This record gives sequence, C-alpha cells and structure tokens, in this order.
Amino acid sequence: MTTTRLAAALAAAVFALAAGPGAASAAGPLDDPAFPKVITCAACHGANGNSRTDMMPILAGLDPAYFKRQIENYATGKRPSPEMEPYAKQVQFLGLDEIAAYFAAQKRQPTPFRPAVEAVAKGKATAAQCVICHGPDGKGDAARLIPSLAGQPPGYLAQQMLLFKQDTRDPGDPLLAAKKALMRIIPDGQFPELAAYYSSLR
Amino acid sequence: MSGLTRRDFLRASGIGVGLGLGLAGCAATTTGDIAPKSGRRVVVIGGGWGGSTAARYLRMADPSIEVMMLEPNREFISCPFSNLVLSGQRTIESLTLSYEGLRNRGVKIINETATAIEPDTKRVRIGQGYVAYDKLVVSPGIDFQWEQVEGLAAAKDTVLHAWKAGPQTVELARQIQSMPDGGVFVLTVPPVAYRCPPGPYERICQVAWYLKNNKPKSKVIVLDANQNIVSKTALFRAAWQAYPNIDYRASQKVIGVDTSTREVRTEFDRVKYDVLNLIPPQRAGAIAVQADLVGADKRWCEVSHVTYESVKQKDIHVIGDSTIGLPVPKSGNVANNMGKAAALSIVSLLNGKPVPLMPPGNTCYSWVSDKEAIAVVNAYKIENDKVVQIEQKLTPAQSVSVAQRAESWRQSIWADMLS
Repeated sequence: MTTTRLAAALAAAVFALAAGPGAASAAGPLDDPAFPKVITCAACHGANGNSRTDMMPILAGLDPAYFKRQIENYATGKRPSPEMEPYAKQVQFLGLDEIAAYFAAQKRQPTPFRPAVEAVAKGKATAAQCVICHGPDGKGDAARLIPSLAGQPPGYLAQQMLLFKQDTRDPGDPLLAAKKALMRIIPDGQFPELAAYYSSLR
Repeated sequence: MSGLTRRDFLRASGIGVGLGLGLAGCAATTTGDIAPKSGRRVVVIGGGWGGSTAARYLRMADPSIEVMMLEPNREFISCPFSNLVLSGQRTIESLTLSYEGLRNRGVKIINETATAIEPDTKRVRIGQGYVAYDKLVVSPGIDFQWEQVEGLAAAKDTVLHAWKAGPQTVELARQIQSMPDGGVFVLTVPPVAYRCPPGPYERICQVAWYLKNNKPKSKVIVLDANQNIVSKTALFRAAWQAYPNIDYRASQKVIGVDTSTREVRTEFDRVKYDVLNLIPPQRAGAIAVQADLVGADKRWCEVSHVTYESVKQKDIHVIGDSTIGLPVPKSGNVANNMGKAAALSIVSLLNGKPVPLMPPGNTCYSWVSDKEAIAVVNAYKIENDKVVQIEQKLTPAQSVSVAQRAESWRQSIWADMLS
C-alpha cells in the first residue's frame, strides 16, 4: 500500500467515523425548519400529510395557493369546521406560507381505500359532468384554485360533496355557484360512487 | 363486587400473570448496569400516549440516538374509545395494539417498571439494576389518591375505576351486563384535575345507552365532585335528554365507600349501588412523585412550555397527564403533542441546535350514543415561552359525521404513536 493510498484509506475511515453515530443527525427531518411546524397536523393527517384514513384529507401534494385559501377560509369560519378553525389559526401563527410549501413538496401517496369496482364504474359515468373543472384525470386546475381529487380518501370526498350541496361549505361564494348547482342535481346516493371514482384515480 | 375475591380478580384480569413474567424476566433481578450505554441515549419511562409518541419521534428525528422505553405492559391499550367497551360497542381487543412498530424503528422496549430516578448520576433504577441516560422522558400517566376516599385503599382491588383501559374495563362491562334489570349503577366523578375531563360524561352516555336498551328499569346515579359537567357541558346536557335513566347530582364529592353495605358516602348523603364505578382523585404517576418531580401539592409536575423539561430537574422532560400549568386538558391528543415536542426538543439540545417552538393542539371526541359523537378542539400558540390558547371550538351538535371523523382520528393518531 502506497503512502497516498494509506492516506486515502485513513481519510475514508475518519470520514466514516464522522458520519457515524453522533453526526448522522445532519440529515434528519429537523433540518427542514417547517417540520416542527407540522407535527401537530400528523395526528389526523398522517405522516407528511399522507392521511391513511377515510375521513381525513391528504394534504401531501396540495397546490399551495389552494391550501392557503382553505386555511384562510377555515380561520374566518367561511368554511365552517369546529375541528379546523382553531388549527387554521395555529397554522397562521406558525407560518402559513412555509406550511403550505411544506405540504406541496410532499409526494402524495394515494388513499389505501380500495372501493368496489362497480362503484368506481358508476362514479366514472357521473363524473362526466365534473371533468370541465377537475379535468379528465381529476388533477384539477391550480390556476383556478381547483384542487386535485385524485387519490383522496372516499369518505372525505363524499362528505365535501354533501357540504357543497347543502351550501354549508363557503356559503354564498359566487365562484362555487356552478359547482353547487351541479351537486344539487346529483342524488345524495351517488356521492359515494363519485367519491369512489376520484379516490381510485392516480 | 359480588363473590369475586382478589385472587379471582387478579387471575381474570391477567395482572398476576403479568407480574409473574416481570419477576421471571431478566431486568428486575439484574444488579448493576442492565444495558451499558455506548452512544447517546434517551430513556422513556412509560409507553402510553405520550411516551410512545416521544420514543417514535426521537427515532424519526435522529436515528443515531439510542431510545430505551420502560413499560411494564406488553401491549398498548387505548383509553380513548374504551368507554365503548362498557356499552358493548367495542371489544378491548379492538383497542389493543402491538409495540412492534416502535421496535421496528429501533426502540428498545424493556417490559419493566421504573422504580426510581437518580438525577445526579443520570440513572433510572429498575429493581436492583439500572440504566443510564443522557436525557430522560417521564410519561407515567396518572395514579390514584386512594387515601382520599375512606375505605377505598382496602377495597381498591374490587371497587373498579376502569380509568386505565384494560382488565378493569372488561370487568366493569361484565358487571354492568350482569346487573339485574332495576339495578342501580353509581358512577363518581373526581374533582378536577383528572385524566380526560369529558371521559366520565362520555361513560355516563355509554352506560345509560346500554341500560336504556337492555335493562330499562335500571338507572345511572352520577355523583360529581364538581359543580357542573366539567367539559362539553351543553353538548352532554343535550345528549342526556335521550337518557331519562340518568340521575345527575353535582357537588357530591365521595368521601367513603363501604362494600359490605354496598354504599358510597358523600358529605351529605349515602347512596346504595348494585354496580359501582368509583373514579378516584388523581395525581401524577408514582415515579414522578417518587423522583420529586411534583410540586408542593405532591400531585402534578410543572414543566417548561417549550421543551417540557421539569422545572425541578435538569435533563428530565415530563409529558402527558402528569403535567400541570399549561392551559391544556389531560388528554391523549395533548400527550401525543407533548411527546413530539419533547422528542424534537431533546434531539435539538443533544445536537446543539436551537429548540423550535411547537405549540400543542387538542382534538377530543366523545361518543354520546352507539352512533353519534361530539367534539371539542383547542389550538395553542407560544408567547414569551408560555403556551397560550388561541381558540376553543365545539361541534354545534352531536352527529354521525362527527363520529365518522372520530373513527378516522383514532386510526390516524394510533399510527402517529405506534407505527
């Protein structure tokens, strides 16, 4: 072994030691200053905003402008939610822009719920009326603050459809008038099918 | 409790079996250093809502730190949702979870009880042996002040609290099911502060629902030490409209119990029972009292609102129901949030980084029937190193959709602690 190679080997060993226990923390989640700001969200919305349950929406991969609008609407009570109104104010306190950017940067893992094939097929037929806004792939239109529904949990989607129909989500919002008019002509019984379809999209 | 001896109860409950395993295990009989420390180590006392979360987030935030959790129970049993066992809506098995997820993250779990803390040498005693720590998380939950109720200390194995989900929950459900129609179920609510403020009132709903549907001549007498329903007051009052079998009596602090005459005694009255659920006054878990982490009242532990470090001992962080001084309820969700904040604080401190501000939140669902629930939500900020409430919101009414969200909350937060 030449002197150069020995030195290189020593250097490698020293580097390995430095990267071992004690210094490995350099690449931990704490290096993202937004991580400590979203730990409270994880109790309901899952690790990195990837909810695995039926009623809690997935925040991972949400368009940041849409996320911010929803937090503002929760905080003012325009989108009424006893659960989210206090937390929306906490998000504003901790830093809305930073938290919106954090969730937008997380890769969305679609809901683990696998609805029945027939429900998905029926929902797809009904969804023909929705593509004009939500797109043929359910990915929405960020420029118009229309969210991606693809892979969201079916229970959450169905509940939101009902809230739109009853005009209890963002009541009186003129931008949502057409959407709510559409919801009103779809029977309640079809919402779970429509939700099944959008939750199945990838 | 009719005809159930202490030995029968221990056998039925599995307490005796657990104790046997503990003594047969290695740690309790080992002397000296049970597991010599090679690198940086955090020891977590207690594997409940706070301790499990802390252990998980410590490993997530810095896998180079060794995490050792001391928890005598081999499985996790959820207190939230355990009132549904009393109405037959759920089984205890459906609330019992494995610690395997934490083990897979590298948490070393020792199924032993911490018997003492030595802050000067930074050691936790386990019987004759000890383990060393760099930082210690103490999450011992609550223990009971038996001496506050005359006759309770002698009868504590047969007078059920069912306030730590497990064998007592199952036994209380059995007693309610065995009670004759026309029997009287007495539930006593301790004075604040106690674990889970709305818990007794949710329990009243569940037992009243069960009796209404199965034993319509029976009734529920509630002896509440407090002046009114402590939490979600108007929502519980509304829910109780459906249960004329509830006889609620405020400001009735229980001061004695006599199992031979089947009576509980308040300052003003004697009340006969067929089945008794006496929830005793509470204090921080025994280890917190033993280690003198509690305040002058010998009940609860005061902590930093930022790092959860004890105000009395350096490098010891206390979380969950045993804390006092923050404007938060003693709830599972708060313990979960404290576990995260303590874990990330410790990782920051051990790595010489500034501690971020991590205010808690509380989402708390209560089941008022077999299908409907209510909720209260609190969010907080930190100002001048103190936790301050931003807002509290209640659901406008009980509903099935709140109950559906409660189910999702349960699944999600269990994963946030144990997966």
